[in-house]
Amino acid sequence: MSDRNPKRAVSGLNRRTLLAASATMAGAGMLQLSPLLRSGAFAGQELNLTIIQPHAVAGEVLKKLFQEQSGVALNFTVIPYDQVHAQATLDVQSGANHFDVHDYWYASIGALVDDKVVFDVTDWIERDKEKIRPDDFIPSIYDAYTLVNGRRWGLPYDGDSHVLFYNTEILHRHGLEAPTTWDAYYQAVKTITEKEKGNGIYGAALLGFKVPVIIVSSYANRLAGFGGRFLKDGRPDLLSEESIAAAEELVRVAPYALPTPSETAFDQALPAFLSGKIAFLEFWTDLGVRSQDPQNSKIVDKWDVTQLPVGGKNKTPVAALDAGFGWAISAGSKKKELAWEFVRWASSSEAGVKLLTTYNSGIDPTRSSTLNAPEYKSFAPKVQRAAAAAFGSALVWPTVPQAPKLLDTLTEQLSLILAGQSKPKAGLEAAQRAWERALV
Amino acid sequence: MTVSTVVERGRFGGKGATRRGKASIPTAEAESSFVRRGLSLLGVGLYAGFFLLPIAFLISLTFKTRDEVLLGQFFTSKPTLENWWKAFEFINLTGFIGHSVLIASLSAVLTLALATPATYAVTRLQHGELVGSLVLSSYIAPPVVALLPLFFLMRWLGLLNSFAGMILVYGLMNVPVAYWLLRGFIAKIPAALDEAAWVDGAGFFKTFLVISLPLLVPGIVATGLISLILAYNEFLFASLFAQDDSVRGLTVAISLFQGDRFVNFGQMAVASIAGIVPVYLIALFFQNHLIGGLMSGSVK
Amino acid sequence: MELHLARPRGSGGDGSRVRAAWLMLLPVLLGLLVFAVYPSIYVVGLSFTKSTLGQPFKAWIGWSNYRWLLFGGDEIFVPSLLRAALFSFGVALVELWLGLWLALLLTSLQRAGRLVRSIMLLPLMTPPVLVGIAWKLLLAPGGGLVNGKLLSLGLVDTPVSFLGTQPWALLSVMVADAWQWTPFVAILGYAALRQVPDDIIEAALLDGANERAVFWKIQLPMTAPLLLAIFVLRLIMAFKTFDLLYILTFGGPGSSTDMAGFTIWRTALRNFDVGAAAAETVLFAGFVSVAILPFLWLHRRVERNAS
Repeated sequence: MSDRNPKRAVSGLNRRTLLAASATMAGAGMLQLSPLLRSGAFAGQELNLTIIQPHAVAGEVLKKLFQEQSGVALNFTVIPYDQVHAQATLDVQSGANHFDVHDYWYASIGALVDDKVVFDVTDWIERDKEKIRPDDFIPSIYDAYTLVNGRRWGLPYDGDSHVLFYNTEILHRHGLEAPTTWDAYYQAVKTITEKEKGNGIYGAALLGFKVPVIIVSSYANRLAGFGGRFLKDGRPDLLSEESIAAAEELVRVAPYALPTPSETAFDQALPAFLSGKIAFLEFWTDLGVRSQDPQNSKIVDKWDVTQLPVGGKNKTPVAALDAGFGWAISAGSKKKELAWEFVRWASSSEAGVKLLTTYNSGIDPTRSSTLNAPEYKSFAPKVQRAAAAAFGSALVWPTVPQAPKLLDTLTEQLSLILAGQSKPKAGLEAAQRAWERALV
Repeated sequence: MTVSTVVERGRFGGKGATRRGKASIPTAEAESSFVRRGLSLLGVGLYAGFFLLPIAFLISLTFKTRDEVLLGQFFTSKPTLENWWKAFEFINLTGFIGHSVLIASLSAVLTLALATPATYAVTRLQHGELVGSLVLSSYIAPPVVALLPLFFLMRWLGLLNSFAGMILVYGLMNVPVAYWLLRGFIAKIPAALDEAAWVDGAGFFKTFLVISLPLLVPGIVATGLISLILAYNEFLFASLFAQDDSVRGLTVAISLFQGDRFVNFGQMAVASIAGIVPVYLIALFFQNHLIGGLMSGSVK
Repeated sequence: MELHLARPRGSGGDGSRVRAAWLMLLPVLLGLLVFAVYPSIYVVGLSFTKSTLGQPFKAWIGWSNYRWLLFGGDEIFVPSLLRAALFSFGVALVELWLGLWLALLLTSLQRAGRLVRSIMLLPLMTPPVLVGIAWKLLLAPGGGLVNGKLLSLGLVDTPVSFLGTQPWALLSVMVADAWQWTPFVAILGYAALRQVPDDIIEAALLDGANERAVFWKIQLPMTAPLLLAIFVLRLIMAFKTFDLLYILTFGGPGSSTDMAGFTIWRTALRNFDVGAAAAETVLFAGFVSVAILPFLWLHRRVERNAS
């Protein structure tokens, strides 16, 4: 199959095939395939993709639908979320070129482009603009996830951000309302912990395990609330008033959080929230779905969710784009056209809604249309409300080529700060110095 | 001392630990030895308890529902078997365990096949020390960065995501460990035995096969078991060279349970316990050779 | 008997025996050449460059990586190396002592010993990730077994954070490591002890020696070579500890459990700075080699004496 001229294949269609294909598509419901795929031109072929463990269920859904409708088999290799970058890089680097598509973390896009691991799709996006509708993507997400050096390298499909979950029962017990500022949050946490510590109930869990996606998220949530930024015009902005305030906020609430922030990761925080042992938890929106599932949750109907609090001079809530994934085509793929068909289809509005309303898919909205889709609203109303309100402005994590290193050094310093081995300002100064050296 | 006497002694020892360090104890010390025995039992009991606690905890985890995991109790109030069949359903657990067992056991065989003659040769050769140091030095550095050239090498050899590739990598990886362990066992075999055979005109290799190898069986079994366990539990290489479902092993599979945000400890524990079983059975099977017969070679 | 200097005697057989010996050595040497020497040269070369995982050998920068790590303000690797030394010697010694003690206990028991021997290997057989998970759950403050017991026995009023505070974090990792690897020492130590000829021990006992003397004057010297080999192996393995840290602490809290083996992994597969990681690997190898040198020398001496 020639990579260069797809039109040649289409012209070989006859009317009967087209009719048959559109009948299938109509029966398939909402998922829209390109004419090329519908034609069955790619039927019987395969694609090799990496997919992260949290998206495994979404992968199953995609695999089934894609097979049904285009006859193409998707071979997903499920890997832990922190290994995609290494696997993708080695795959291309060594010339193995086993994979065609990657489920990439958006913060790593700069590094992936720099190492020539992913393929430039700017022209294809332009060509297929009408089907893709790039303006439907939430702007902060679209640029952060795909734009490097003025070119685009993938399409977003999992728009993660943190929101503030809280246990309504506990809050009610203490006559508290959902906090809108970090200060109110601190007061609430302190009150609850002091009064109910003896019963094993705490105001909040502060996720501080020494992994970027965990501890930097906690910091980023506060940084966003204060209106700070990681990078300003490409230079590190870690010593701004907002940044230092964010770090101090972490330290301030730590003693009142579930013991102990430094060792708290998902495996301790989530069970604590779902069994009603903590009042507040900053987490991704899909926690809302899980909290309503009686099999996994003891707090069904006893929780609610709100946007992340604000602080300092900032009065408008800002979404923190913690985690977040997109599909990119591997630079070494020999089936780039087919891979592009998949990427477009999987990041489309229709596929998005399907995944959003599948339990345990781990997917969050990336488009305005999916964010405000009626199906999503009825599937997870509370979460949809909070998420929809948040995306006005967003804090984006660094996506420069040095991003992995930047995040690692920041993790190091934040961990030292949280463990009390370093003062917030001093720790951030060390991080700033390391960032400046890396970005030189 | 003839060779036959040596072998005889070895066989005698191989019948099981019927002889202890102290055979004839004077009656005057009988009572204190009773106390000593009691203390020994207590000591062993404490050890056993310490070693078993986390394992028992893991086993009890397999019967717990998700919300019971972090309750600070050992036993669960509402035991469930659901984790057991769910774990096998979630991923191809038996398949992955099978892959691991296959790779680990064959690589252990490879390690032994490579290391035993080599160690023997080194202990009998004049410049053996140098080789010994070389072997050890290859073991010292963490293999992380070496993954890069090895990845290229494996790809060039076409061994990525293949059983042969993993067996080869693990087989070679454990040679330094096997070398150092076997050396201790080979050292116990007097050179006089070999020299006698050489004087009689036997070849070097033949001597090794006929005289030394039988005496080495316990050492070989011990080393083989260790190599098998080391290969079975290895994670780093497996995660990069064997990600494909057709060769994926247990350690990588377990990391999948771990990689989810909503970790299911019960199922993870099932995967781990199920994973231990084959290795445990293998070890049990070889136990007599391992322990009972290890007295051979103790010749003066 | 000088075993490792034994030279094949007899007329006409010399050359062919040496040749046969080298032939037996050949597969290992070949294997090492391809799988150890080639990567080592690659790594050393890489350490003099600025490289990422995706672009190795991007630019030649000479000693720059080394200068940065040793003098230039890195402040992460060298402390991690020292921490690794503290950890490794600590656990290796503890495991040697506990393992040997257990081995001795097993030699003096029969039926109970058999039972213990069969379950003794279980910690070693447990996948390392699960060793980490098990200990993480046992030590968790909010509902872990240990804290649960401590609280119910009234020994503490608030949960102790074993993995979230110093120095408990490092100690907890050491305990988990000792749990996993003491059986390694014990089983090999037991094998070594059983190799000591019974008639020598009986003779000594009949002569009136007590058990302590038997241990120190007979059992220990005869098993010393193997025990030292086990110690050196354990030491090297401990320096390279990775799985436990990955699950239990990831190097935290702060940097209290950040150890060289783990740091190198982070530099290579998290920061993707393989040039620096290569330099760290070289420094690591040098450091550990120097650390084990005295024990290797001791091993050679003891091997000669034991025969």
